[in-house]
Amino acid sequence: MNVWEVASEVAIFALVPLTWIAIHGEVRQRLVAFFMAGVLITNLLMLLTMAFNRTPMMDLALTLALMSFGGGVVFARFLARYLQ
Amino acid sequence: MKAIAIDVLLGVSVLIMLLSVLGMWRMRDPYQRMHYISPPAALTPLLISIAILIQNGLKPEFFKAVITTLILIGMNTVVTHAAARAFRIAETKNWHPAPGEEVPIHSSDELVKPEAES
Repeated sequence: MNVWEVASEVAIFALVPLTWIAIHGEVRQRLVAFFMAGVLITNLLMLLTMAFNRTPMMDLALTLALMSFGGGVVFARFLARYLQ
Repeated sequence: MKAIAIDVLLGVSVLIMLLSVLGMWRMRDPYQRMHYISPPAALTPLLISIAILIQNGLKPEFFKAVITTLILIGMNTVVTHAAARAFRIAETKNWHPAPGEEVPIHSSDELVKPEAES
C-alpha cells in the first residue's frame, strides 16, 4: 500500500459528514454539501489515479470537475427560480 | 527526500479536506458553510499537483491535474457566488440589499430581514 492509497482511504471519511448534511439538512444545506462533495470526489479521483498508477483515470477527475460546475450552476438557478 | 516531500504534501492536502468538512459541519447556516469549500477547491488540488510533479515529473497526468486544479478554482468562485445569490433570491425575492438593511457582523447583532419587494 503506497502513500497515495493511504491518503485516498483517509480522505474518503470526509464524505461522511457531507452525507449526514445531505440527509438531514434543509435544501440550501444540501446544495452546499453537494458542491463540497463534488470538490472532494474530484480530489479523491486525482489521488486514486496516482494510487493505482492509471494515468487515463485522471480524465475522470477532469470530467467530474467540469460536470459539477455545470450541475452546481443549474441547481442554484433552479433553487432561485422554483424553490422560493 | 522526494518521498518525504510527497508524504508531507499529501498529508497536508488530506488534512485540509478533513478540517474543511468538519468546519462546514459545525457551521449554522449555508452562507457560513459555503466558505469552507474554498480550501479543498484551491489548496488541495494544488498540493496534489505538486506531489504528482515531484513523483512523475512533467508527464500528462501532471498537466491534467493542473487543468483540473484551474477548473476547480474557477468553478468554486462562480458556483459559490451563484449559490449565495440563489439563496438570497429564494429568501427575499431580490438579491440587492433593501434600503436600510444592515449586515450582521457579530453574533450578538440582530438580523434585520428586509421586506420583500412586490
